[in-house]
Amino acid sequence: MGRLLKHALGVVIASAALSAAQTACGADYELDVDGRLVSVKAPPPIIDGNLGALRFGGDHSGARLGRVRLALAETFGEIWTVHLDASSWGDRDKIPAGLTEGYLQLRPYPRAGFRLRVKAGAFYAPISLENRSSGWESPYTLSYSAIDSWLGQETRTIGAEAQLDWLGTRTGHDFDLGLTAGVFGWNDGAGAALANGGFTFTDRQSVLWGRVGKPGVPPVKSAEPFRELDGNAGVYGGLEARYLDRLVVRFLRYDNEADPSVVDRVSHTLAWRTRFDSAGARLDTSSGWTAIFQWLDGRTYVDPRGSYSNWPFRARYLLLSKRFGERHTISARYDQFEVQGSGEDDDGWQKGHAITLAYVFRPGTRWRCTLEWIRVTSTSYNREEFGDGLATAPQTQLQLAVRYAFGSLAAD
Amino acid sequence: MRPYARQIHIRAPIHQPAAVRRGYLRPGALLLGVLLPGVLPVAQSVAAPLSVSVLLPNGRPLAGAVVTAEPSPGPGHAAAPVTAIMDQVNKAFKPDLILVPVNSTVSFPNSDTVSHQIYSFSPAKRFQLPLYHGKPYPPVLFDSPGIVTLGCNIHDEMLAYVVVTDAPFFGRTASNGTWSVDAPNGVYRINIWHPRIRDEDKDLQGEMTVTEPAGGALQLHLKKLLKPAPLEGRPHSWDGY
Repeated sequence: MGRLLKHALGVVIASAALSAAQTACGADYELDVDGRLVSVKAPPPIIDGNLGALRFGGDHSGARLGRVRLALAETFGEIWTVHLDASSWGDRDKIPAGLTEGYLQLRPYPRAGFRLRVKAGAFYAPISLENRSSGWESPYTLSYSAIDSWLGQETRTIGAEAQLDWLGTRTGHDFDLGLTAGVFGWNDGAGAALANGGFTFTDRQSVLWGRVGKPGVPPVKSAEPFRELDGNAGVYGGLEARYLDRLVVRFLRYDNEADPSVVDRVSHTLAWRTRFDSAGARLDTSSGWTAIFQWLDGRTYVDPRGSYSNWPFRARYLLLSKRFGERHTISARYDQFEVQGSGEDDDGWQKGHAITLAYVFRPGTRWRCTLEWIRVTSTSYNREEFGDGLATAPQTQLQLAVRYAFGSLAAD
Repeated sequence: MRPYARQIHIRAPIHQPAAVRRGYLRPGALLLGVLLPGVLPVAQSVAAPLSVSVLLPNGRPLAGAVVTAEPSPGPGHAAAPVTAIMDQVNKAFKPDLILVPVNSTVSFPNSDTVSHQIYSFSPAKRFQLPLYHGKPYPPVLFDSPGIVTLGCNIHDEMLAYVVVTDAPFFGRTASNGTWSVDAPNGVYRINIWHPRIRDEDKDLQGEMTVTEPAGGALQLHLKKLLKPAPLEGRPHSWDGY
């Protein structure tokens, strides 16, 4: 509770500073404050050095900070925009607040049916189909799917991305098509959390150069996904097809191109070679239904001094949601996930499924109230080895979140 | 011009009141002419109702379809240019379609607090216009006939149309699927358009004869189902990614 008060004070100071800055430079901004009431039955989360599969765990039941988020957008001329998105999650990361995204975007006007968009900085690759709200949040649930929780924890494009779209719907056709290519660095640590803690269900996104946590290790020494250890640039390429405003289909192949034999001499951090394919589809209907399917399949491996270890992983989910007017949304999601272990003893394997149910109420554009229940049932090598004997017990979490948004962008 | 499409039928002459048969406009039509710039009072003494109906494959009427009527053989005289307004309200174009005679001007105000960047790359009119809040721009001249598709470079979900026509008679079908105007005796080429129609252009054309006093009526049955209507009611903040 003391932590909550400290953050609330921080919010007040930040608001005052922000108002001054906003008046001075005229940028659009948004400040979100998200408070939670939590009832959880699960081991403490990975950021606290344990093996919980949820954002909260251990003695976290009670009032918690969900997120404090400050977003700024400033346009230069007509086609250049800077986006900054900073958050604090009120947990034990070494960085109490930081940027989840920060980038410069070039957005020239479309010509002859084609449109190019270029981003440089730090941002999410176009994979998630549920996290479609500002701040990379899901409008359906509080906890992201296993896939998107992992992407939010361990991946970020710190580099550049170009997206070329053919705008068929602007030339009388039913389809738009898009091609995306990205090149990035500082992601050689991606995969460590997956191999150590497996998939989790959280809305805590790692801030840039923040830490994820590692089971059995205090957070100060925990996994750092945003490291550049070998100088190799990672790449991804994706395709997107849209049918009117109804259906979106995406595919993306990602490879951080890390050299798995590299070990940082000072910190002894390993470079994790992580590559995956992802695919998904999202259907919106005129009666307010949304169906989302996402699939992820890949592997992460290390090979320091010839001791090769490999963790294939895969996850998928189906989300169904029904919107009643602009105010009420009810959603249900079913996740399946698996990390195959490495070596003869299957070190690090994990397998499970989860059910998430959520109701979102938006009384206006600024308020959002969410009630969510999630249950994760999984078995895990690490929990059997290092846990407290509850290796297969279901983990449940009930959250009530109330969020208020200030600022010019919040009126969207 | 291809012969009548098979789905187009000329109706039997319709009984009209004597005042209409005598050749001048009904008071109602005159009022319509004032409200809709494209429906001009007809100067000729010989005029009769020209009526076009658009029906969906299931027989229900299609409202909002654009209908243009040109004398055949042409060319006819385009209607007088007008000044129209396409506003931006709550991250949407309002209205989502305007129909204007060639050489009309359209002004693009911005009633939103956020900026918009309006563009068109349609051959009939290519332009781009940044709409900052409270900063007016001169109206845009639409000097070529055609369909001009409008988008916003910031908000992808924004979509609207300016239909520019050089036909002397034009309008949109009402909720009963019918548009009508009083036109001089003669043969007319009819064109139909609607953003949700999938039928090919050749199936959306026809010819009809207007003969005083009964006039002429033309009915077009669409062969294909409409495209789905744009989604409504979604929070605008949903598509940041």
